[in-house]
Amino acid sequence: MGSYLIRRLLRTVLVMLGISLVVFVFVRSIPGDPAVAMLGERATPEAAAALREQLGLNKPWFLNPSNPLDAQYPKYMNALLRGDLGTGIKSNIPVLDDLKARFPATAELSVAALLFALLVGMPAGILAALRRNSFWDNLATTISLLGVSMPVFWLGLLLSYFFAVKLGWLPPSARLGSETDLQPMTGFYVLDGLLRGQPAASWDALRHLILPAIALGTIPLAIIARITRSSMLDVLGQDYVRTARAKGLTQRAVTVKHALRNALLPVVTVIGLQAGALLGGAVLTETIFSWPGIGSWVYEAISQRDYPIIQGGVIFAALVVSVANLIVDLSYAALDPRIQYS
Amino acid sequence: MKKLLLTALLSTLSAASAATLVFGGNGEPVSLEPGNITDGISILVQRQIYDTLVDFEDGTTDLKPGLATKWTPNANNTAWTFTLRKGVRFHDGTAMNADAIVFNLSRWWDKAHPYSFRDQGRTFEIVGELLGGYKGDATAVIKNIVKVNDSTVRIDLNKPSSVLPNVLAAGYFGIASPTAIKKEGAKYGTPASKPVGTGPFVFQSWRTGDRVTLLPNKLYWGEKAKVDQLIIRSIKDASQRLNELKAGTIDFANDLTPDSLKSVQADKNLVAVKRPSFNVGFLSLNNRNQYLKNEKVRQAISMAINKKEIVNAFWNGLGISNASFVPPVMAWANSSKVPADYKFDPAAAKKMLADAGYPNGISLDLWYMPVSRPYFPNPKPIAEAIAADLSAIGVKVNLKTEDWAKYLEDRNKEPGFDMYMIGWTGDYGDPDNFYGAYYGSNASDDINWNPSTVETLLQQGRAAPTQAAKAKIYQQLHEMTYNAAYRIPMVHSNPLAAARTYVKGWVPSPLGSEAFNSVSVPGKK
Repeated sequence: MGSYLIRRLLRTVLVMLGISLVVFVFVRSIPGDPAVAMLGERATPEAAAALREQLGLNKPWFLNPSNPLDAQYPKYMNALLRGDLGTGIKSNIPVLDDLKARFPATAELSVAALLFALLVGMPAGILAALRRNSFWDNLATTISLLGVSMPVFWLGLLLSYFFAVKLGWLPPSARLGSETDLQPMTGFYVLDGLLRGQPAASWDALRHLILPAIALGTIPLAIIARITRSSMLDVLGQDYVRTARAKGLTQRAVTVKHALRNALLPVVTVIGLQAGALLGGAVLTETIFSWPGIGSWVYEAISQRDYPIIQGGVIFAALVVSVANLIVDLSYAALDPRIQYS
Repeated sequence: MKKLLLTALLSTLSAASAATLVFGGNGEPVSLEPGNITDGISILVQRQIYDTLVDFEDGTTDLKPGLATKWTPNANNTAWTFTLRKGVRFHDGTAMNADAIVFNLSRWWDKAHPYSFRDQGRTFEIVGELLGGYKGDATAVIKNIVKVNDSTVRIDLNKPSSVLPNVLAAGYFGIASPTAIKKEGAKYGTPASKPVGTGPFVFQSWRTGDRVTLLPNKLYWGEKAKVDQLIIRSIKDASQRLNELKAGTIDFANDLTPDSLKSVQADKNLVAVKRPSFNVGFLSLNNRNQYLKNEKVRQAISMAINKKEIVNAFWNGLGISNASFVPPVMAWANSSKVPADYKFDPAAAKKMLADAGYPNGISLDLWYMPVSRPYFPNPKPIAEAIAADLSAIGVKVNLKTEDWAKYLEDRNKEPGFDMYMIGWTGDYGDPDNFYGAYYGSNASDDINWNPSTVETLLQQGRAAPTQAAKAKIYQQLHEMTYNAAYRIPMVHSNPLAAARTYVKGWVPSPLGSEAFNSVSVPGKK
């Protein structure tokens, strides 16, 4: 187990290095250069050239024959290995500072969305499997089909309009109301409110969290419900379940002890995969809900060709997905004693 | 628990009694360091914290005193002397004086200034654009910045300029505390720093990606703020800004789409606010194209587009169409020899195209912007309408677009776009800011036309000793540009804003941002 973990971690480091190279080349291969994007309507070739020079973007990518260290990639890697992700071209803010400020927002939203997806999706899937071909099964299947085919930005605006503007139950966007002043600690505002002894702030943060979490969690919810249903159906048809029933166990005991535990394995895999999907979905959700996370930040950076932010954001997202996958793999062993890592 | 609840209740009560003004901005400021930004929301936040040397009268582009009470040129407009307001202090308590002004101007303009932080990637690009270049550049307007005495600063120029005070009044050039800049170093202007100006509001906090919170400056030299707190929130999505307004979670907001006008008017809690127009959205015709190098073809194209109808359809009455490149507030720069409106006459246009040698029509690409701007809120359907009008005279139009960063780059690359949509929002109230940016030596490369004649006129305009002399020069430019029809003005739009009905005293500036010290929220619950 220990050596497995070390090998996995080493592989993650290699993957990260590979990704840093790929993203470096990739962002520079997208047509449209940062100097022009920064200048906008004012961009003239002369102004862009001057700005490019000032930003060091006119340097060679990999190799400067006269001064090997004065090329973009060696400089970037040199800084990266010291934990410096560079500085946003437009904002002059270190990418790492922005990441630190914004990641907790994305994490809080993703966790809430995943919780919503699990708490609704798993029971729905189990229910649908147990009552196969019933009204509930059809309802769950229809809703999950709708869920995966609904564009996130549309769902987000719809939720916001209906629940905030029409009904006035929840705030339309942002993480906190204007009247709430909360000094972040962990960056998870719901938690920070409690830690700071401001339950009203926690409540406010929670109310702001609901709509974006639903918007972001709907697609994973639909996927989780479907996987749970089919996996559950699969397991319910297995011999050991029949045996358990034959032994005279109650339906409840069969479902919970024998079927569910085995049916969960593919669900866990999906949850791992959804970690990446959540980061992707966060781009739109964060933009719609003015959520100050990394999704909307990287999205903006791409349209501005802000290389350091795109690079930092992608490397960081890759790290999150790698770690999520590692956790999924490790949790297999916990769920299924037959799986052993060595 | 009881104690917690009580605290929560008390904090709710005290929050309710304080007047908080909440503005919905269309994004997050890039930086709160003056001189180093060009985006609207950074300027808007900076307007609250900083004063400029010269200011604009509310709702206009006319000049009024700012930190300078008086500004006078020498005889030939080659040096401007600014007399500073006495007794003004920065928010950190230090004095605003000639040293502070020289410090601010110098760090923008002088690349070798120890506090310009150029090595950190600071570009101060706007100084290069509006003032021709930096210290030592052959093209730079400014030659020297001189402290005459504690309350007098003189700016010597390399070439005459009548518009220097107008340029320095632009929202980019807020005056910051030298002490604060020296203290914060290269991180000045980022969320981790504390920007310090002399303006009506004092910086309190900037929560990344979310909001900037400001408090009133109790010692402000001018009109003091009427609220206890000003929050400027970042809400990127225009429909979400409207949702927030309707839900009452923000008090006022900018940059709504023209099609939300009806929805605003239908809501009894909201009032629509039309910002005075200070922009131009236009169609640019590339003379490298074999057809478009013919003046008749360009004029035919201009005549074939029903601009009035297009503006009515897509701007909901929030804009006008005329035959001038400068916005209506600078109508003094328009020539009476040019018709007020472009002529719309498809039959005559068709004949003109035939006379030019193309009786069977021609085919051209029309590029539309992939982004929304106040002057083209919805570029694609507008482009479709233009294409439909042009097809009526036999100009077959292929609609094209691409990613914005690429669009900006490709329009300037050989051979450029045949026809493309773009626009401009002014920085200060002078025609130089429009004609100079799109016809002068600083213009983009997609037209190659008469540069020496135009540049000479532009130079004369900048050097003109009187307003009358200046008007004459720009009227000449107006005639030239109208007849040449390289850039066909489509619209001068009124960007749509809206406020809750209890918001009082908001006078929107044509330039896109104004200080909120006059705004109050008497009926806000």
